[in-house]
Amino acid sequence: MVGPLEQAILALMIFVIMLGMGASLTPRDFYLALRRPYGLAIGVISQYGFMPFIGFLLITVLPLPDPIAVGVLIMACMPGGTTSNIFTYFSKGNLALSVLMTVTSTVFGVILIPVILVIYAAALDLEIPRENIIATLVLLLVPVAIGMVMRKLNANVGAVTEFFGSLLALIFILFLLVSWVPRNWQFLMTTTPATYIAAIGLGIVGITIGYSFARALRLHPRNARTVALETGIQNGPLAIAIIAFTFAGTEAQSYMAVPALYSLFIVIVSTLVTLVFRRANTAAEQALPDGLL
Amino acid sequence: MQAEKPWTAMYGASVPPDVDPAPFQSIGDFITATSAKFWDLPAFTTCLPNGMNGTLTFGQADQMSDAMAVYLRDIAGLHVGDRVAVQVPNCLSYPVMAMAIFKAGCVLVNVNPLYTAEEMTKQFQDAEPAAILVVDMFADKLAEALTDHPIPNVIVTRVAEFLPALPKMIVGAVQKYWDKTITPITIPHIRLPDAIAQGRAKSRSVAAIEAYRADVKPDDVACLQYTGGTTGVSKGAMLSHKNLLMNMSQTMALITTLDEGKEVALTALPLYHIFAFTVNFLGFFSIGARNILIPNPRPLTSLKRAFENYKITWMSGVNTLFNGLNNEIWFTDSPPKYLKFASAGGMALQGSVAARWEEVTGKPVLEGYGLTESSPVLTFNPFGKTRLNSIGIPLPSTDLRCVDDDGVDMPVGEPGELIAKGPQIMLGYWKRPDATAETIQNGWLLTGDIGLMEPDGYFRIVDRKKDLILVSGFNVYPNEIEDVIAAHPGVNEVAVIGVPDGAAGEAVKAFVVPQGDGVTVDALRSYCKEHLTAYKVPKQVEFRDELPKSNVGKILRKDLRAQSIVKEGA
Repeated sequence: MVGPLEQAILALMIFVIMLGMGASLTPRDFYLALRRPYGLAIGVISQYGFMPFIGFLLITVLPLPDPIAVGVLIMACMPGGTTSNIFTYFSKGNLALSVLMTVTSTVFGVILIPVILVIYAAALDLEIPRENIIATLVLLLVPVAIGMVMRKLNANVGAVTEFFGSLLALIFILFLLVSWVPRNWQFLMTTTPATYIAAIGLGIVGITIGYSFARALRLHPRNARTVALETGIQNGPLAIAIIAFTFAGTEAQSYMAVPALYSLFIVIVSTLVTLVFRRANTAAEQALPDGLL
Repeated sequence: MQAEKPWTAMYGASVPPDVDPAPFQSIGDFITATSAKFWDLPAFTTCLPNGMNGTLTFGQADQMSDAMAVYLRDIAGLHVGDRVAVQVPNCLSYPVMAMAIFKAGCVLVNVNPLYTAEEMTKQFQDAEPAAILVVDMFADKLAEALTDHPIPNVIVTRVAEFLPALPKMIVGAVQKYWDKTITPITIPHIRLPDAIAQGRAKSRSVAAIEAYRADVKPDDVACLQYTGGTTGVSKGAMLSHKNLLMNMSQTMALITTLDEGKEVALTALPLYHIFAFTVNFLGFFSIGARNILIPNPRPLTSLKRAFENYKITWMSGVNTLFNGLNNEIWFTDSPPKYLKFASAGGMALQGSVAARWEEVTGKPVLEGYGLTESSPVLTFNPFGKTRLNSIGIPLPSTDLRCVDDDGVDMPVGEPGELIAKGPQIMLGYWKRPDATAETIQNGWLLTGDIGLMEPDGYFRIVDRKKDLILVSGFNVYPNEIEDVIAAHPGVNEVAVIGVPDGAAGEAVKAFVVPQGDGVTVDALRSYCKEHLTAYKVPKQVEFRDELPKSNVGKILRKDLRAQSIVKEGA
């Protein structure tokens, strides 16, 4: 579904975007998130506790054929991806926490994903491609670190990088939508409503549960928004990669249906959620008089 | 009778009871000498909310302002004593222009950029400036304000002026196409960098530029700083070179914890306000500090990058700002590490806000007190001897008394009107000898504030004599608001008072007796917004059948205030 050239362009785009994200951060942001690992722990719990369970419920409730069900389950067990960082940035969430959550859930994923998969689908024997996970981490952390160094050396270079990075991120989101839909039109037309509900519902329910959970545990709204997006937004490309490495032929194609659909709709869902979050953020801003501050 | 200046005992060994007059004839001389001393150090940095920034060293600012002074005098044709208006938010253009005005021997007129065209016209009619520096975002208002009262020389600048090319371009594009805050400029004008280039092309010698201000004496007017009075008409306080330089020295003398050439000051308060002007701009300039200029601290997250990217050692603010930062998670999570202390002025600093600030940052916030008419600082809390809810002790060379209505000193601890004497007291009000005579009597400035002195010389403000309302550090004059509201066809009578309003200190409240078809609260407020700066717009409107009046028919604001307070307490 994704060609090599396309993949290279995507990787490059993500690299530049994450460079910009890094330029918006300072080491202190990470230090603060690590010093209070409460948020991180909540993130891991929602990522590997709630998400697979939501997936499981969707499979149970909806009339889904087996390959689709497997796709839903794999998708539900994925860690967060860079897309969640981008949406956290635009939602004015806690970006450092988001990046750390992505890293943590990916690292934990190496152990937790097979375990959870085994728990939920004992019959499944999946192999987790470690090199892919390492690639994800590199893709994520290296540019973030470079961006932070750039900002430290020159605040203007950092700010300009951040500006173009965020601009590129918007283009990236548009690119995902525009390039994907026409080429998969046939697939979109033949997919059953139940599959749609599963693929779309996973993200929406995940974001909702993540937010409620974080708020119930009295996380600051900014951190709660971060946990919500991090929980609901899964690493779609990783799911596709895992399926591609594990299965072959038509079997792989049918397993990939849900990750592909999910990846498309999560961009739309997250965009809407981001708009809501931004509005909430503005509303929560302290009202300050116009005059002398 | 009060003891002679009992507060001097609190000064400690390093603070003299009196400050020597500055060894400078004028602010222009002071700027030139100070720039030479700190030539290669960064002097001013504009920091935008996204972290984009630009910096001028003392040397660069000196050279640019030299060229701009040449432009003002030799190209625009201004003379000694001509007024030059400056209407820009905090950005690099402000110091360059202010320095140029002083070097050129002209008079600086600070104009609040948030003023409506109507308010601008009034100020221009009074000050009659020969030139104005305006930021492009407000050029449309300027065009409107100048229709009946043209200013010969209009110089236009931008918030991102003197930033590196790429950030400047990005900021400009965002302002123009995204925020849409910049509209095409319809009046004849020159851009600030072009004016500087023209001035530079004249290649005048340093001596020639110094000659511009050869006739300027310490007691000549340096600034016309507009402020209202009880009468409601905005008046220009004439602050002399000596007033400002002395107040700068007096204030800096009381601060003993600063290191020359090493301080980084956060200037989130607007420089057109006298407190930021004297303390941030002049005071910290005098010790070779780097001033981080924040164009607009709203929302407060706009300050985040400045706190992250610079080692802020000192900041000034008003209660609203400190209270706001106390409530920002990013600020409380990582408070500024290098901060030595903060200074508060402009309005009463609430004890709870000061205590929370110290808890968050580990450093005190010192409250001071003053008036535009006193350049502005009269008192400050000395470092290490801070007293909550106190305005501190008078500055060196300053005398402060509490007197009754007959001018007789009140006993220690008894409230009376604060009157002040010192080298920082203004020359008088511009073109208003009557108002000057009312405010300065026998060399004493009548503050209109009721205060008391504690036995050791610390002062406290008890109440205000004046009717004026203090909204977040800005004087609001009830008469002005009443005049606007009274002009509405649906209004019969109106009275405006200040009511307590949390962090902002006070809010404007209007009592309205409607007539005819009447008017709704929303309609009245939007009507006010057309004619008044936002902070002057009444936050509360209450409709009444009648207003309390004296037997000669004067509306009694004090009765309304008393009723509001009773209602508030009930």
